[in-house]
Amino acid sequence: MNTRKIISVAVGVLVPIALLAWWYLASAGSLNPFFPPLRDIVVRFKELWLFDHFATDVLPSLGNLFVGFAIAVILGVALGFAMATVPVLNAMLSPVVQFLRGIPPVALIPILITLVGFGNEMRVASIVIAAMFPTMLSTIDGIRSVEPGLKDVGAVYRFSRGDRLLRVYLPSSLPQIVSGMQVSLQVAFIVMIASEMLGSSQGIGAMTLLAQQSFMSADMWAGILLLGLIGFLTNILFDLVKNRVLSWYVSSKRLERAA
Amino acid sequence: MPDGVRLSPSARRASRSGEPRSLGRFAHLAYGVLGAVLVLGLWQAAAASGRFGSGLPSVLETLSALAGLLGTAAFWSELGATIGIAAIGLAVSSVIGVVFGVLAGRFPLVRSATLAVTEFLKPIPPIVVLPLAVMIWGPTQQMAIFLVIVGCALAIAIQTIAGVEDVDPVALSTARSYGIGTAESLWRIVLPSSLPFIGTAMRIAAPASLVVTVVAGLLGGSPGLGRSIYLAQSAGEVANMYALVVVLGVLGVAAQGISSAAERRLLHWHPSFRKTGS
Repeated sequence: MNTRKIISVAVGVLVPIALLAWWYLASAGSLNPFFPPLRDIVVRFKELWLFDHFATDVLPSLGNLFVGFAIAVILGVALGFAMATVPVLNAMLSPVVQFLRGIPPVALIPILITLVGFGNEMRVASIVIAAMFPTMLSTIDGIRSVEPGLKDVGAVYRFSRGDRLLRVYLPSSLPQIVSGMQVSLQVAFIVMIASEMLGSSQGIGAMTLLAQQSFMSADMWAGILLLGLIGFLTNILFDLVKNRVLSWYVSSKRLERAA
Repeated sequence: MPDGVRLSPSARRASRSGEPRSLGRFAHLAYGVLGAVLVLGLWQAAAASGRFGSGLPSVLETLSALAGLLGTAAFWSELGATIGIAAIGLAVSSVIGVVFGVLAGRFPLVRSATLAVTEFLKPIPPIVVLPLAVMIWGPTQQMAIFLVIVGCALAIAIQTIAGVEDVDPVALSTARSYGIGTAESLWRIVLPSSLPFIGTAMRIAAPASLVVTVVAGLLGGSPGLGRSIYLAQSAGEVANMYALVVVLGVLGVAAQGISSAAERRLLHWHPSFRKTGS
């Protein structure tokens, strides 16, 4: 059993290293226009992002991502709470929400371009609108599935409405809200890139697409690598925060399973 | 105390029904229509106010643009291209995802060899590799199909792995003691009992494949409604653009509805569906 575990860990570590080494060696001296040597990509990565375009392109992109995501989460939780606790509001808005949710988030960008132009507000607004829905829908689901017993306790102790929202509904729907936020983050990331690729000259997405259009494949690969890293790292960061915030939930689930 | 007696029953009734105070079916529908009318009214008022200039067509202009689009052959061929690309991409993704998922779920060595790569690629959306795909294939159907596969195959594989790991070990050892070979037990036991997981993955992947197809058209110029939106936007045909976005909304809602109906229909025999009675 133990040797098997060691083998599986060793394989898990060695295979990615072998793949990277193979990419490096096989692409060395490559003349294929689509797959430049990995060495060149790494060199361009350093030249472009560390730190030539860092302040002018990387930071604005990341700033849009986080500002848009933050506003989307606040709006999503607030609207979700309102819809889940006010039945009339829910009945009125749910058909509209269902329809808007069917629209691919990226398809909203051209509309926002015609409404507010190509500026930075357009990019943040696109991220906010698109990323709001997952958080909002999971907030609604989360509050709906609050245990009836908990609601009763809140009612019996005559918690005020605000107390009930903040002390009963919010904590017990938090796990679902947080998983909705994770989807929102992924949507925000996609829309961040898309909003830069559609008629903008600034940002990582714009630079990557521009490099492709001018056939600078090493630059394009450097952009893809950076975007991939950002996607991966933001997700890891979110996981870390999530495990921290929801540690009580994870351990209570574990207790439940053990019982 | 009388105060408490008055409050408590309403709270109790509310918690039993699941919603704070549930509305009747008819009221629900009426409020839904009212909400839709209100939103359309707001849109119309915003367009009439002229604050957005030519950037915001009125509801009527959008509807007449929509009617005009529905009468053109080009619209239907772009719609067909969108659905075709999404469907082909989804089919290829499901084959890749299920085959890889069954292998990785059943053979720990395959799983650990690919774990790092799949974990790295999981949070990376297809739009990241769009420039590479456009560089290789240009604004073509193949490019869009490739992106759909990038977007869907891994998610299906990850769900399949979860399904395979959920297979009843007793069923597997029973198969082994009856002398059923590895390949046959994969086909007869592992695959059927992981189908609900695969079904869930497909239900999520079907609308996602449409979204990726639209992204490929909008940003990469592949055939389909995404490209139509891009062309309408750059030509300044704003009403047409809004009409196309409305079409995409309808298409998205339809894809979600069809895929959940298909999931229930195809998997009604499985215990996990029988238990819930749906």
